[in-house]
Amino acid sequence: MSDESNVKLRLNNSELWGGLIGLALGVFVVWSGLRLKLGAINDPGSGYVLFYTGLLMCVLAATIIVAAVTEGGPTFGSRWKDARWTKPLLVIAALIAFSLALDRLGFLLSTIPLMLLLLRLVDPVRWTLAIPIALLAPLGVWWVLKRMLLIQLPSGIFGIG
Amino acid sequence: METLLNVGQGFGVALMPVNLLYCFIGVFIGTLVGVLPGIGPISAMSLLLPITLSGTPESGIIMMAGIYYGSMYGGSTTSILVNIPGEAASVVTCIDGHQMAKQGRAGPALGISALGSFIAGTFALIALMLVAPGLASVAIAFGPAEYFSLMVLGLVVLTFLTQGSMAKALLMACIGIVLGLIGLDSITAMPRLTFGRLELIDGIGLVPVVMGLFGVAEVLINTEKLIKRDVINAKITHLLPNKADWKASAGPIGRGTILGFFLGILPGGGSVISSFASYALEKRLSKTPERFGNGAIEGVAGPESANNAAAGGAFIPLMTLGIPPNVVMALLLGAFIVHGVQPGPLMITQNPGLFWGIVASMYIGNVMLLVLNLPLIGMWVQLLKLPYNILFPLIILFTIIGVYCSSNNVFDVYVMIAFGVIGYFMRKIGYEPAPLVLAFVLGPMMENNLRKSLILSQGDLWTFVERPISAVCLAIAVVLLVGPLLPSFRKKRELVALEEGA
Repeated sequence: MSDESNVKLRLNNSELWGGLIGLALGVFVVWSGLRLKLGAINDPGSGYVLFYTGLLMCVLAATIIVAAVTEGGPTFGSRWKDARWTKPLLVIAALIAFSLALDRLGFLLSTIPLMLLLLRLVDPVRWTLAIPIALLAPLGVWWVLKRMLLIQLPSGIFGIG
Repeated sequence: METLLNVGQGFGVALMPVNLLYCFIGVFIGTLVGVLPGIGPISAMSLLLPITLSGTPESGIIMMAGIYYGSMYGGSTTSILVNIPGEAASVVTCIDGHQMAKQGRAGPALGISALGSFIAGTFALIALMLVAPGLASVAIAFGPAEYFSLMVLGLVVLTFLTQGSMAKALLMACIGIVLGLIGLDSITAMPRLTFGRLELIDGIGLVPVVMGLFGVAEVLINTEKLIKRDVINAKITHLLPNKADWKASAGPIGRGTILGFFLGILPGGGSVISSFASYALEKRLSKTPERFGNGAIEGVAGPESANNAAAGGAFIPLMTLGIPPNVVMALLLGAFIVHGVQPGPLMITQNPGLFWGIVASMYIGNVMLLVLNLPLIGMWVQLLKLPYNILFPLIILFTIIGVYCSSNNVFDVYVMIAFGVIGYFMRKIGYEPAPLVLAFVLGPMMENNLRKSLILSQGDLWTFVERPISAVCLAIAVVLLVGPLLPSFRKKRELVALEEGA
């Protein structure tokens, strides 16, 4: 790893951020454990295991932070080096849009555009192939689930699906 | 005699037409996901878990088990022909298998891999039949302290074997425990970490978590790179290895089988570690280690046998103790629970038909796999030519459907997408999801057993040390936790570390 890709106390140190997120989660779990009551050692309460797991998380996260600061860690840039980082971001955006649409538009009206987007956004499949796949795959699944297995799929405000 | 009678009863169950069909579907899908890079047995099993709900427990578990050991067979095909491991346990097969294929010996490489897998799989089943009932009778004496310590050991072994920082792997395991505790407290019925959402009262489902972390995240990782496949186009002939191949492979198959079986039993171990260990062992024992990496058939025979034997061995802790030794078995435990069956020491006596039926179905499944993987190899080669840009949207579609069908709840689809995104970023910054998933499954059981043992011992922590089995488990766990601080021990850990705990 080159020097530019390994940094110590810098904001783009990915190890440092990993540790800080872990620490924040640990503190939250400790606090949740305390709120749920620890009980006594001979009668542990609902928060007992949460509290001690949270403490362990804080210790482990602190170890990661110390190692990130003293030994350094890879930058975010180096983690995504040579990767086509826009492609997973596009897929994530498509999935988020899908999750927002699923309940409102129903299974078919949200899945067909999702499939078309996925087929065209990353290494585009030609339209003549993408359109039939995007239509037939969700329709086929819908038919099997709804007609054969009698599974209720979300039908959305238009009642389609 | 009693074992033979039980096996007879098992075959009675496994040979029922519906179970034969489920077994075939399982091994077929297992081979399919093994062959296709980017989708592994974990994703496939979680995808199909809801489908098993409509049938009997026997049928469902037979199919799920078939997917697991079927993927071990299929993974080698992709490794040998494309130089891309179909699943994690076949990573090491790429090294010599693909070299053999390039030298025009794809047939013997595929043949020895399938036959070695068959021999190892059969041995593992016989050993499973002989060991499991005995271990189950011992396990009846296990108390909550023993169970708790065994689960701690399982988690520590898995974090020890996970690639990269052990602190990160342990942090993942802790997060898994916390996620597993979401929902109603099983003792006080108090809601925990539900944030007032009714959907969280029963906790987060295993299926959306696994599908997100392994299915969606894997797709996101794969979209980052252009997947180039160097598929061997030559016609594959001479699948049956010749005399010299058999002579060279007999030892590696035997050693790989035994090594794999024992590593499969160990909590936290599994097929991935066993295939790497077998490869290292064969290279060390070979009089001509320089041949390894250049198409040595021993480098295919040993690891492929080891990963199949491990797949069989991994059933032992699940069936006898009710403790899943790895993530795949954790999913299988989920399948048992969904069907209202609690695996553990009493399962063999209370549900003999189920236990022996599963074991017998694995024999039948192994024979089916031999047929699927040798005469039908051409079909799998064609499948390898399916472009990834068409495959991955279909994987996403099936993950959405699989998750939705597991609960008929759109909330689970949101959970899956969230875990998919989290899993992608986690993997990018070096946090492996396997310890999280195993801890997610073990977390509630660990908590239950810890609290029970503390109540029973009236708060005396020595109870974990005074009981011999518990003390041994905790001692090994401590060694594995402290060991990496020593440089020589750390180097050994890096050698055996897994990319993905399976």
